[in-house]
Amino acid sequence: MHNSLTQTPRMGGKGAKTPSFFYLCAFASLREVFSEEAFAGMQMISTAGSAQDARRPHRRPRLSKLARNRYLAAILLLAPALGLRLFTSVYPFFRTFYFALSNYNPAFPPLRFTGTANFARMWSDLAVSSSVSFTIVFVLASTLLQLCCGVLVALLLNASFRARSLVRAVNLIPWAIPMVVAAMGFRWMFDTDYGIINDLIYRLTGLQIPWLTTSLGAKAAVIQVSVWKSTPFLALVFLAALQGLPTDLLEAARVDGATRLQAFFKITLPLILSQVVTIGLFMVVWQLAAFDLVYTMTGGGPGYATSVLAYNIYQAAFGGLNFGYASAISLVLFVLVFVMAGLGLVLFRRTEVSY
Amino acid sequence: MRDRGAAAPGYSPWRHRLEVFFNRALLYLGVALFLFVVLLPCYWIVVSSFTPKYQMFSIPPRWLPSELTLNNFANLAANIPFFQYYFNSLVLAFFSSLLSVLLAFLAAYALARVRFRGSNLVFMIFIVSIAIPQIGTLVPLFELYKSVNLINSRAGLIMLMASLILPFTVWTLVSFIKQLPEEVEEAARIDGANLVQLLWRVVTPVVRPAIGTMIIINFIISWNELLYPLVFATSATVKTLSVGLVELSVDPSMGAGRPWDLMSALSVSMILPVLLVVLVFQRLIVSGLTKGAIK
Repeated sequence: MHNSLTQTPRMGGKGAKTPSFFYLCAFASLREVFSEEAFAGMQMISTAGSAQDARRPHRRPRLSKLARNRYLAAILLLAPALGLRLFTSVYPFFRTFYFALSNYNPAFPPLRFTGTANFARMWSDLAVSSSVSFTIVFVLASTLLQLCCGVLVALLLNASFRARSLVRAVNLIPWAIPMVVAAMGFRWMFDTDYGIINDLIYRLTGLQIPWLTTSLGAKAAVIQVSVWKSTPFLALVFLAALQGLPTDLLEAARVDGATRLQAFFKITLPLILSQVVTIGLFMVVWQLAAFDLVYTMTGGGPGYATSVLAYNIYQAAFGGLNFGYASAISLVLFVLVFVMAGLGLVLFRRTEVSY
Repeated sequence: MRDRGAAAPGYSPWRHRLEVFFNRALLYLGVALFLFVVLLPCYWIVVSSFTPKYQMFSIPPRWLPSELTLNNFANLAANIPFFQYYFNSLVLAFFSSLLSVLLAFLAAYALARVRFRGSNLVFMIFIVSIAIPQIGTLVPLFELYKSVNLINSRAGLIMLMASLILPFTVWTLVSFIKQLPEEVEEAARIDGANLVQLLWRVVTPVVRPAIGTMIIINFIISWNELLYPLVFATSATVKTLSVGLVELSVDPSMGAGRPWDLMSALSVSMILPVLLVVLVFQRLIVSGLTKGAIK
């Protein structure tokens, strides 16, 4: 464990210098991201590692029987969790490739291999092609907004004011409310006639915005709900990061006459940037596969305006029983996830280097 | 800036006070805006659930109904197998959080304490498997479950949910266990404790807060889950509240509009226990979520 830990930086560095080995690089950096150092850094703990390293040399020579016991213990402890993950996640993942090349439909059993027919069909399927673009727009727009709002809310919750702990508790509410409930509630609130959001906007500005009945309005509404739901969680993480920052740097900056804005952009933001990028990466990967928001709020409508790939997969599989086609769309989603995650990891490395 | 202002020539105490006041006002304005945005949907859902149906569809919408009623909740219980769904949700959330934390604890201990070749790789597999989209593996999973007769079974659903939250739990528990001092465990090992004794007598008591936290968090996550119950629960004996809410919204017997009266009542009964748990265990939840720093 510790051997590989000491090797990872070199490995990552090599990968970064030869961009043609993109995946190698992504893999190496992934190892780095999740290596103990980054891991501990992420939670601002700097314990244990050095003590364990120091203890290690005189532990090693103690011999093979102990080592064998160690392996036995590790296997025993890991087997149930790994088994469950393999059974319900890894195996189905690889099985998707098999189904994607077939016309499998459980209502018409004999499975026939149709090669790339599913992908050709996808090419001309308006629902899928418009979903791909909105999936990307949705994920990028909502993640960016969540990051910005998350940092803002974290700064707000980090300031001192009356009843702060109560406000921090309130911050947990959107995280704890089920997405189904939030999406349904907002669907009603965004209603053009009966909804209170439009009523509020009308009272304030005299405008009537057709939220869920127009393509642009529905897209904006879906993104807003996603921001409302996830921002508090990000704010929570950023708040923890802010609380872990050394205060002397900020005080020094104040004494030197930096304004609040300058102090934020020159000191606070760079210090929490790696957390921001990490969380952003996870939000991108996670929201690419987000299904329940669109399913319960708009059903992909109006038209295909707010349809996302995850929704298409569900519709193809359990609306149309087109298991083969659904698997093919899943593959597109996998590709999107890996491309975006790869880009995110590159970005992560950049931010690590930059300060 | 202000500290230097004292020495600056143009300094006036009034300007300083004005500035402080302005900053405070801005801060409280921000807090008020934040509270408004976060609480508005909650307010609306709760108020709607107590609004009589005839007042529900009015233009402009009523921010406060002129009378409150509990009829929506009574109608809800009359229209869907509400208590059955509630029970199912409870069972699913309780057992899947328990199962996931148990498995994650064992795995996390191995990853944090047992030194073996490839432990980093195993940890990686857990973390990378978070990125496999749940929706993308649904079709093969459905086939798999059909072939082993686990569709519409509580146990099958519990296993799926536990698996879904497992990686995050492993991640959090690994970081928690690594933080603990190792001396006590070493002493126990030297005294000849076996693995089971070590885990049960020595490690568990120390890790208890983290385990409790993860049980609470996982309970909330699986209580809120929609996709797996939607696909794998096909009868009322297994369906959960989230599925019930979706069913209400597409139920053709409810007429043209959506039955917002019933839906808001169901929403309130679904979020109430969760909010209670969140308010009571606020601190634990925050520490658990930020330790893992993902979800």
